Amino acid sequence: MSLNKVIACLKGIGLKPKVDDFQNRLVIQKAIYLLKLKGIDPGFDYNLYVRGPYSPDLTKEVYDHKSAVEELKTSTRLSNAEAGMVGEFKELFSDFKPSILEVAATYAFFAFERKQDPITALQNVKRMKSFYSGAQIAVGVSKAKEFLFKPSEKQLADMKEEARAWQDASLKSMQG
Amino acid sequence: MNSDFLSLIRESEALNSDVFSLIRLLLLSSIASVGKDGVTYRELKAALGVSDGALFTNLSVLEKMGYVSSEEISLEGKKLKSYRITQEGLLAWERIRNWLKKFVECGGEKQ
Repeated sequence: MSLNKVIACLKGIGLKPKVDDFQNRLVIQKAIYLLKLKGIDPGFDYNLYVRGPYSPDLTKEVYDHKSAVEELKTSTRLSNAEAGMVGEFKELFSDFKPSILEVAATYAFFAFERKQDPITALQNVKRMKSFYSGAQIAVGVSKAKEFLFKPSEKQLADMKEEARAWQDASLKSMQG
Repeated sequence: MNSDFLSLIRESEALNSDVFSLIRLLLLSSIASVGKDGVTYRELKAALGVSDGALFTNLSVLEKMGYVSSEEISLEGKKLKSYRITQEGLLAWERIRNWLKKFVECGGEKQ
């Protein structure tokens, strides 16, 4: 487990956490989980708890090294690829809204880790996060998909085909 | 009657039988699992799918037992009630978990 890597990620996304703040701890948990699914793995195991995907070990480490976390002290440098992923995260979740991160991480757990179909994953999110509005759930799910969705070869080919059809239609309408 | 069974009965005397209801066990387990972070009332309600009446009553009982403590926290500008396991609650939960494991193992062979 590497708390150094976690801190490097927090630094990269521009979060200056206060460990005693509930909201900040929640943001750390969810951000690190989403980055883990994206491909940056500091080695903390996550499982489904009452709060959705959660790592008790990460919480323990964050408390045990409170000053390093708050001062963003780390000896780890992210690789270019990792920095790119952190950049994508920052762009997409720039306001660090806990509600959106909670929904996104919970949807990601069901859809991308448990490989549930999108409808089942959404139903599970709605059940676990029933205190959030439909709009908050929709935004969180959409951001999770945008951040983590990797199209298969076939899906890429289908998308290209679809885009080509639209492009052709638009060219024809311009010509005619 | 084997000695495991006798130790099971002996150890059961050290348990707090007031915790042995499904909802209280689920609450203790859920709150203990997030340790210092604590868990909000609304998260417990959504995840466990229980009514406000049942949730409030049982959380109050666990709080009176000294197994959980509550505090007000702020999340996205909202004031929420959050519950944390106490040291006493954690010890009780560990004792119960270990006893339940023994209880299951001591269930005997299939007839």
